[in-house]
Amino acid sequence: MPEHDVLIIGAGLAGQRAALAAAEAGATVAILSKVHPVRSHSVAAAGGINAAISLDDRWESHAYDTVKGSDFLGDQDAIEIMCREAPGEVMHLEHIGVTFHRNEKGELDLRAFGGASMKRTAYVADITGQAILHVLYEQLMKYHERVDRFEEWFTTSLIRDDDGRCVGCVARDIRTGDMQTFKAKATILAQGGAGQCFKPTTNALICTGDGIAQAYEIGAPLMDMEMIQYHPTTLVENGFLITEGARGEGAHLLNSEGERFMEKYAPNKMELASRDVVSRAEQTEINEGRGVGPDGSGIYLDITVVPRKRVLEALREIVNIGKDFAGVDITREPIMIRPGQHYIMGGVKTDVHGQVPGVPGLYAAGEVACVSVHGGNRLGANSLLDTLIFGRRSGEHAAERAKGMPIPKVSDAQLKADIARIDRIIARPRDGRRVSEIKDELGTTMNRYVAVFRDEAGLLQAHETVRRLKEQAKTAYIDDRGTVFNQDVLGAIELGYMLDVAEAIVVAALERKESRGAQFRTDFPERNDDEWLKHIDISRNGDDTPQVSYSPVTITQWQPEERKY
Amino acid sequence: MAEFTLRIRRWDPESGEAPYWDQHTIDLEPHRSVLEGILQAKARFDGSIGIRCSCRAAICGSCGVRINGQPGLACHTHLDHALKGAKDGVIEVEPMGNMPIIKDLIVDMDAVHWKKVQRVTPWLINKEPIPEREYIVPHHNMVDITQSMACIQCGACVSDCLSMEVDPEFIGPAALAKAYRFAGDPRDAQQFERVKDLAEDPHGIYDCTHCFKCIEACPKGVAPMNQIMRLRRIATGTHHIADRNNGERHESAFVSLVRDHGLLWEAELLPRSYGGDSFFGKFAPKAGMELLDSLPVIARGLLRRKVTPGKAIMPPRDVPKDAREEIKRIFEKVEGRDEVRELNLYISGYDEDAEGAETASASSAAPQGQTSAERGQPGMSPEESPTR
Amino acid sequence: MKVAYWPGCVSRGFTPELHGSMEQIAPLLDIELVELDRASCCGAGVIAEHSQELADTLNARTFALAQQVGSDTMMMNICSTCQGAQTECQERLDASAEYRALVNENLAEYGLEYRKGVKNKNLLWLLVEDYGLDELRKRVKRPLTNLKVGPFYGCYIVRPTDRLGIDDEYPRDTYMSLLIEALGGTVIEYAGAQKCCGFPIITMNKEASLRQAGRHLGDAADADADCLVTPCPLCHLNLDLQQPLAERIVGRELNMPVLHLPQLIGLALGLSPKELGLGRHIVKPTSVIDWSTSVIAGVA
Repeated sequence: MPEHDVLIIGAGLAGQRAALAAAEAGATVAILSKVHPVRSHSVAAAGGINAAISLDDRWESHAYDTVKGSDFLGDQDAIEIMCREAPGEVMHLEHIGVTFHRNEKGELDLRAFGGASMKRTAYVADITGQAILHVLYEQLMKYHERVDRFEEWFTTSLIRDDDGRCVGCVARDIRTGDMQTFKAKATILAQGGAGQCFKPTTNALICTGDGIAQAYEIGAPLMDMEMIQYHPTTLVENGFLITEGARGEGAHLLNSEGERFMEKYAPNKMELASRDVVSRAEQTEINEGRGVGPDGSGIYLDITVVPRKRVLEALREIVNIGKDFAGVDITREPIMIRPGQHYIMGGVKTDVHGQVPGVPGLYAAGEVACVSVHGGNRLGANSLLDTLIFGRRSGEHAAERAKGMPIPKVSDAQLKADIARIDRIIARPRDGRRVSEIKDELGTTMNRYVAVFRDEAGLLQAHETVRRLKEQAKTAYIDDRGTVFNQDVLGAIELGYMLDVAEAIVVAALERKESRGAQFRTDFPERNDDEWLKHIDISRNGDDTPQVSYSPVTITQWQPEERKY
Repeated sequence: MAEFTLRIRRWDPESGEAPYWDQHTIDLEPHRSVLEGILQAKARFDGSIGIRCSCRAAICGSCGVRINGQPGLACHTHLDHALKGAKDGVIEVEPMGNMPIIKDLIVDMDAVHWKKVQRVTPWLINKEPIPEREYIVPHHNMVDITQSMACIQCGACVSDCLSMEVDPEFIGPAALAKAYRFAGDPRDAQQFERVKDLAEDPHGIYDCTHCFKCIEACPKGVAPMNQIMRLRRIATGTHHIADRNNGERHESAFVSLVRDHGLLWEAELLPRSYGGDSFFGKFAPKAGMELLDSLPVIARGLLRRKVTPGKAIMPPRDVPKDAREEIKRIFEKVEGRDEVRELNLYISGYDEDAEGAETASASSAAPQGQTSAERGQPGMSPEESPTR
Repeated sequence: MKVAYWPGCVSRGFTPELHGSMEQIAPLLDIELVELDRASCCGAGVIAEHSQELADTLNARTFALAQQVGSDTMMMNICSTCQGAQTECQERLDASAEYRALVNENLAEYGLEYRKGVKNKNLLWLLVEDYGLDELRKRVKRPLTNLKVGPFYGCYIVRPTDRLGIDDEYPRDTYMSLLIEALGGTVIEYAGAQKCCGFPIITMNKEASLRQAGRHLGDAADADADCLVTPCPLCHLNLDLQQPLAERIVGRELNMPVLHLPQLIGLALGLSPKELGLGRHIVKPTSVIDWSTSVIAGVA
């Protein structure tokens, strides 16, 4: 039975950063990932990472932009910490080898990004996430003696002891089917988001809300689950992401009349207003009949206005995507996009050290967590920052806490239960629905009723569907009865995670009778600070229904004001 | 929507049976990917089909496979395109090569791909002192190594590497491209040590058989073979490393023979590659050994008058003397310059305008009125090669 | 048709039968060869590895010399490696007017200037695309009936496909098969047809080099080929000249003759094996000679 000071589940940016930080602080570290670490979805992050490193910049400015971007739902103490520590973290990344682009003086070049009052986004062409992720993995290879890696291990449950502490997890070696209990003094969740609850989504197939659901399962609180970001520029063809970096380089958004309609919605920032504002603007244009494409469901992103040489240097990925997936040469013609599900601001509730309240020994960092630094809407290039800052802080804090603590005693009860559960899934008779069918219906439902514009009737419909699908999932059957690399049974488990997460999202969206950040209720179109300047927390009732409570928003320097771009 | 038939190579390690072909007919729009086809087959017919996949957008590198015998990403290959390369209208999907198979389309990348990557010390070794802020690095240096950094570790290049096929210990294209990422990074302190290590290793940079398979396979334009050649350039040009594998001597001999004679003098090339780039190279012990080894071949060549003694001893004189002088002076001019001038098309792209007036030939083989530049694609490669 | 003919180095060095056979078949095809005798070695990728600018300059010079023959005249090579190495240089030269100007500066003092867009094709491509296989068929006097021929392309003429203009419209990686069939022969399919002969590493890792050659020759033998045919003399060196050593390394007898492309064409046009220099090969092309003897006997 592996035992470590710090156990990290998920090897994206947050997980890998936590592992390195904990190892550096002297802890024994294990990191588990259901895919090879460099396949984690952080790899798809494109545009860049925000930091006030320019000598003309101030972290307070970055913090204010973030607070405003969050529509004042973000916790300002956490935001201050993130923005203050950002420059140091970016320099650290530079020192371990991230290949950040330079300006003519050889210093880190900074590009413009959504919602930012000045250029403060450091980048590597349009593969920033990939560059950082691969460099972190290089460090893990370097420190292979200090960090035990368990690659392609799927976590099935967290383990909570009788005192309510999280003492580790149960995981399956995907290659062999072997299952083990992992004991740890601290467990850091870093499994990312839950985009697969929506169809389409920019998210990878692995983004099935594992960490959120597992935390929810053992009674940890979730927060701000209604806040789902729809990214303004996803390919109409297949929902793929076109980085905000394109707009950062100067690209325009055009409707069917060829006008730069953002003038009407955000006359100052135009295409670089915050994402929720831009997505709503686009959706409005589409709904009002000014969309493009055969069924008018798209908007044109015009990158032809950016000098070609610059496009090749800094937007290479989009050139590839345009060519390979849409048959378009983006330097010569506009590409069709529309808003698509992309990120979940909500997640497992944590403090500024990544600790999950009410569950000692449990931490969370990255998209899986909700500190909250993003509040009602995340600014572009703040997610990469979030993962690294809170990944590091969780790792450091967990390592510190582990000092002098004994390794917890863990029984094999959970292990046995999980083995039995898997056996039951494999043995299910073929008279229910197929797992893939249920997943499809879930995704379509969420994208219809829980998207850019929501209302009570739609949300209630969504809730009803989710509960029905949860029932059907209990008898959903799979084909693979083997033990070696059985992806089928993992898919069934992931379906369970997605349904739990979806329910929490819908319940939270119903609860917030207000429009703020990414949540826009057509039945409650105004922001209402008097009643709703607070977080919505969700935790699991004994009988598997979500229970709602509230928690206050931490305000330090910036009082809520009208949010205009 | 259209129908496509996929033939997938399956193997269940628990069954005790041999690998077999499994066929499914799916229906999707023709521009959708082979991966989406396989996922549809999984969803509708058989969820036990094993394939690694995640992002569906050619960035995570999970879904490396062989489609109709060619390596690539399943998510990056369109069904209609795959159909064109298919024998009898059936798209064949197999696991990648050069790596052990775990199940169906899933291979053990740790055993080969990652093992080789770890061989090249794949982390930055900082130049001291580490500055407080960022290292000051020229813009073009960072853009240059971005090409290597674009590698998503998918394994397609490793899958079909022809050197690795005959020499499994060859470090390989992915790892060597990664090595360039450090050798070309001005912030790394050990450029010399890195290239020396890789030049001296008999399975290192001089074990690449120069076959372009990895360039063809790579879905990201990393062009691993080009990175290997750049490592060679650093080894010989910057550090003058005379490796034990004859790599530097071979290159040096080739260059000086063409400089002096305008053409390659094969009879001299071989001994100089072993013994050193001079007239006396052939008398070095290493060269002597090699010549002895090749005696049967030389004998037969002389016997059949493939090579006359004259040809073997005298340099080629097919190029007239004054032309040879021109060639020699070109060598001296370009080599004599300190500054090295390289054009990397991945970074610079292709000229925008037609420049019709400058075009020499009437493009007799190309369609009327269109030059290669006009129809060129940005950044990757011209839609039309210069040979059309 | 008239072509600016670049014979390459090896075709006049260690495989003289290549240049010799090309000169023999040209008049039979009514192709006028204007030899670029002032041109230099293309570098074979090795000079480019050493210095890109040097390789680009040498080849720009060769292109400029070809353009002097006639601005519309096609340039023709008889070596896959020349095709690949020269096309790589041409790609760079044609891609950037700025770079081309830099390189032309190196040539200025010799009164030479490369103008973008030279048409440089290997004999194989020329025959299929410009000459036409129908025209070729008309001139076949001795169809290669019952001769089982395995094509061996040579890496430099089949990869990378985009640089070499290989696609559905120009399926240049199938031309060998088309040609063999047009000449009346039977195409033998075998695994190694588009793999590497190993020549580039013959001095750096001899065993790996000849293991490649040995395997592909062995695959062709197992597929019952009478001979291989290749458009690349460097491949010919590793497959023919080094065949005895390759046999030792793969531990089997091979006895696989390797023909140059013009030799195969020459046989079909009615020339004798002796005229085509088949006797000079290290591996005696017995099966081919027997075949031609029996055909001649049959015709006579």
